[in-house]
Amino acid sequence: MPLILAVDTGGTFTDLAAYDTETGQVSYAKSPTTYGDLVEGIAACLERTGLSLADAAMFKHGTTLVINALLQRRGAKTMLVTNKGFRDIIEAGRGNRPVPFDLGYRREAPLVTREWRLECGGRMEAGGEEIEPLDLAALADIARRARDGGIEAIAISFINSYANPAHEKAAVEELRAQLPGVFVTSGADLSREWFEYERTSTAVANAFVGPQVGAYIRRLESRFGERGFSGSLLLMASSGGLLSAERASERPVALIESGPVAGCIGAAALAGQLGIERAIAFDMGGTTAKCALVDHGRFDVKSIYYVGGYAYGFPVRAAVVDIVEVSAGGGSIAWLDTQNRLQVGPQSAGSEPGPVCYGRGGENPTVTDANIVLGRLDADAFLGGEMKLDAAAARAAMGNKIAGPFGLAGDTGLDSAANGVLQIALLTMSGAVKQISIERGYDPRDFTLIAYGGAGPLHASALARELHIPRVVIPPEPGNFAATGMLLADARVDESTTILRDLDASAFVITDAWFADAEAQATATLKQEPGAGTPQFQRFAELRYKGQMHSVRTPMAANAPELQDNFEQVYRARYGHAQTGLPVELVGLHSVASAPLPGPAISNISQRVAGGSAIEAASRPVYFAEARGRLMTRIYHRASLASGFSADGPAVIEEYGSTTIIGPHDHFTIGALGEILIDCTGAAS
Amino acid sequence: MSTIADDDIDPITLEIIRHALIAIPDLVDANITRTAYSPLIFEYKDYAVGIVDAGGELVSQCRGGIPLFVTTALGDAVRDGVVIHGADGIGPGDVLVTNYVGTQGQHLNNAVMYTPVFVEDSSRPFAWFAVLVHWCDIGGLAEGSIDGAAREIYQEGLHLRSVKVVTGGKKCEDIWRTIGLNSRTPDMLLGDVEAQLAGCLLGRSQFEDLIKRYGTRAVRKAIETIWDRSDAAARDVVRALPDGVYEAESWLDGDGVDRNRKVRIHAKVDVRGDTMSVDLSGVEEQLPGPFNSGFTGGAMTAARIAFKYLTTPGEPANSGAFRALDVICPEGRFLNARYGAPMGLYSSPLPTVIDTILRAIAPACPERVSAGHFADFSLFRIYGPHPKTGKLYNMFGSGFGGWGALRDGDGPGPFKTMAHGDVLEVPVELHEATTPVRVEACEFIPDTGGAGTTRGAPGLRKVFRALVESKMFVVFARVTSKPWGLEGGREGATGQAILYREGAEPRIMHKEWGVPLHPGDRIELQTGGGGGFGPPELRDPARVAEDVRQGYVTRQAAERDYGVVVGADGRVDEAAGKVLRGLSSQ
Repeated sequence: MPLILAVDTGGTFTDLAAYDTETGQVSYAKSPTTYGDLVEGIAACLERTGLSLADAAMFKHGTTLVINALLQRRGAKTMLVTNKGFRDIIEAGRGNRPVPFDLGYRREAPLVTREWRLECGGRMEAGGEEIEPLDLAALADIARRARDGGIEAIAISFINSYANPAHEKAAVEELRAQLPGVFVTSGADLSREWFEYERTSTAVANAFVGPQVGAYIRRLESRFGERGFSGSLLLMASSGGLLSAERASERPVALIESGPVAGCIGAAALAGQLGIERAIAFDMGGTTAKCALVDHGRFDVKSIYYVGGYAYGFPVRAAVVDIVEVSAGGGSIAWLDTQNRLQVGPQSAGSEPGPVCYGRGGENPTVTDANIVLGRLDADAFLGGEMKLDAAAARAAMGNKIAGPFGLAGDTGLDSAANGVLQIALLTMSGAVKQISIERGYDPRDFTLIAYGGAGPLHASALARELHIPRVVIPPEPGNFAATGMLLADARVDESTTILRDLDASAFVITDAWFADAEAQATATLKQEPGAGTPQFQRFAELRYKGQMHSVRTPMAANAPELQDNFEQVYRARYGHAQTGLPVELVGLHSVASAPLPGPAISNISQRVAGGSAIEAASRPVYFAEARGRLMTRIYHRASLASGFSADGPAVIEEYGSTTIIGPHDHFTIGALGEILIDCTGAAS
Repeated sequence: MSTIADDDIDPITLEIIRHALIAIPDLVDANITRTAYSPLIFEYKDYAVGIVDAGGELVSQCRGGIPLFVTTALGDAVRDGVVIHGADGIGPGDVLVTNYVGTQGQHLNNAVMYTPVFVEDSSRPFAWFAVLVHWCDIGGLAEGSIDGAAREIYQEGLHLRSVKVVTGGKKCEDIWRTIGLNSRTPDMLLGDVEAQLAGCLLGRSQFEDLIKRYGTRAVRKAIETIWDRSDAAARDVVRALPDGVYEAESWLDGDGVDRNRKVRIHAKVDVRGDTMSVDLSGVEEQLPGPFNSGFTGGAMTAARIAFKYLTTPGEPANSGAFRALDVICPEGRFLNARYGAPMGLYSSPLPTVIDTILRAIAPACPERVSAGHFADFSLFRIYGPHPKTGKLYNMFGSGFGGWGALRDGDGPGPFKTMAHGDVLEVPVELHEATTPVRVEACEFIPDTGGAGTTRGAPGLRKVFRALVESKMFVVFARVTSKPWGLEGGREGATGQAILYREGAEPRIMHKEWGVPLHPGDRIELQTGGGGGFGPPELRDPARVAEDVRQGYVTRQAAERDYGVVVGADGRVDEAAGKVLRGLSSQ
């Protein structure tokens, strides 16, 4: 059983990467995502490769199922159980209005209406002592109400459960015993950090998707079983690690950013292989652009995520790779507002109807249409020519909706309008990169940009120039990079806790004990992941200056003075200033355990072209902003470019699923792994 | 609409610069919330970041930060710097700070830091980058520098008028030391000021990059475009309103000395063509307590916030968005107090002033406004020596309550007031972990939202129990002027605090200082609900029944206010309802 399969079910396409452990070969396939039955799309993908599930030892899977169910509010009939007096926490939230001047501003309604928010006696205090015992009689009544109401999932969330989860645990057991078949979950089970609204919201989200995700995983297992699969199924978690099917079924909210994270892991692995210490992973698809920072092979993990965005959405406390996501994708729509100002996004044409050039009824020009107008994309070479694009329609839409109102006429006017659309989309992308770098105290000039996703390589060079990033790397198979990343991912357990106390020697007795316990539990969990190697651990402390609100994740040290040193270093690097010797307070701890899983060496992820010189397929005039016009540009097929090949820009490199643009002052080289290395430091002569 | 392409600068380039100008303050905004020490910045968003042109006009301002700063605060600071130092007196690399009430008109905690942006061939600044931050403590009568007992500005802390804190890139240590020495919490304050400085420098360098790339002429042109387009967007809305004079009145309770005195709020809105004037001449005279503000910090701020809610909620804030607005308020009114008046709690009347301006204009555009909201900061503080540490603990908070109904939807909420934006309520678990106070409930109060075709959002009750000997204060500014309904909608309830003590009658409190609390005492803070919109009888009975099922409205109120009878099964009893509403055919 030599195969390891990785499948990422994305918004538009289902991508597959397969690693043959005997030959060391990696092969790829892509097919449209089938929303009716997601399993069908996976099967279709497999068929394209001619591989058999019976030969697979491991199936790694990333899915948008969880985030879609939450965004579309299609989930289980859910009940929430809280302490007496607190059932409205989930609706009251934090009382804030991120959109300050809208009288009608409101957040998305809670996933549980008020009538299904029930209260139960019992209370812990902040130190974890019981003030009032759990009311078991009330729980029996709650179970009866759930049964009568046809409740499918229950979230339990009690005040101070982060300090002592005993009541929540007892309530989970009791309700599970009384309600077989009902999905029961609790706040402290998912997060041991303080702040009741955020934890309650997490428990509710987990309950809401629980039954559906469980059913999906069971269906996958049984369908795969029918096809002879007897290996293990692992799911991609937002933390950057893989979870067993069982753990994923218990805590589906851990899968919330399943797909985007896989690309980050690929970027980290690629950076490691190429000896790049600091990289910005940049992923651009149809609706959004996302970026994350890779520092010495590691990415930051945050413990809060807003489903539907901070402005209108709700929080989920789950370990999620620190990704900044903005509305700039191939499908982002360009439009003029009431004052004739040019805007790009946040609305996206998505894949249905898609950009105008898809010819599926889209009427509004998009970023992809702008790329077509400017000659950057070839209408006949999209997806290797499998999908013909309508360039004339794209030009007409750009002319009527953008160029015309601006009084821009003729071909140059059209180019100017389309370029404006790209430049504004580029500003949104560079805003995201600035947020992940400058805002966190890093200088983008110290980084390499690793760009992937269908549209990432199209804009990477321009983005690098905008931010003075010296170098860009386009990995092999950039359109399939999420699946590739998944092949490389480890099994992983993240644990966090809130411990509020002064940073002194006695604190270390507590922290050492907590880490030892967390690591022992993680080891036990990881042992059950099939094929997992020896776990490795990382320890972090959440620290802050006393009195400050915001904490900084700091690598743990052996004693208080060293930890304070670490903190000040991290603080200074991030914020440009730090006050030496001020009292520092411990807010929480974070433990990461990861165990390597069998997978390919990164050097095997592409089939390299042996020897030979590159074949220039053709030339065409392509618009470049820095030239303020069109330049005759060489067009290469990526598959024909051997390692070691190099040339000056301008150039276009086309391949199945993606197109790379090399700017007029850039120079590119094909690296040893088949990656495209773009040097963006060349100046205009 | 003017043509976009009217000279040699490519209109698309202008669009690109325009987007870039708006993005810079947002980047710095995010940086400041992460680096600030004080919860007032991180949680309360008590700051603003912006680009100001050479003449002090606002070019762009961050989207974060509370609405209170969509005033002329940043530009006034810059103009004052030129007055103090002369047109050539501020050089490259200088950074200044001001909280001068003569120009800012807000409490002294609000300090604007600003730095000039020079271009190579000019000796005068091309523009300025400015960051306003609420300084956590600058001396004065009480911790935090804000105290109800203040009777003059001199009791409210350190006063700085356009002082250089950095000269030519070099920190002026003398002034930093002075600032630290005047604060009860110097480490926290200086940490915030460092974050403010870092934000100023980051913004300046980002802006300089933009100018290098596109040149001053194109950037200047883009700035004009920003103003013109926002101006046009606001005027489009005003032009659609029927010309006329619209007035409304309300009142607050207490002037800082006499807690029962009614403090009059009055707004006269005059719409003429595409301009609007807001005349606040009818508001109360200057008050003895610290509820005063200067013209820009008070009258102008309230009028601008109301104008923005009304005209261009989605536009980024800039000077152009307010060109169509004129604000009138003679000196001596509490929203344009004379120099020296105390201003510590200057912002607490403003939600009701904003509310009243919107109430005035409502008949002209009922579809654009909402009914009255609870409009009360509902401030409270429970404090005393912490039994474990012996140090003073301080549990401080503000309330969140119901907002008014809109024509096309029930009132949203609970939120903080209209003067707040992205301000976060303090979590129960944070209160309990850091103070000897227990929180026993946080839940809606049924029937507090005004009845209407669309309903006001209900208020909340939050219950605190003192575990040790403590003291408390509460300030409810608006307790008798109920959040009004519109177009036949009913009033919402106002808020109050109630002290429950074993063996004593419950005691209702609105404005109390230094109230001793014994272990076991319970304080219930109730916030008000929003007003309703349209006659309650026209509300769909099915929606009333749904409100009853969800517990936002009681069965009794459904019958009394809506004439809808909800049976034991949760269904509408149509026959009984008809009897109630006198529609019975019998």
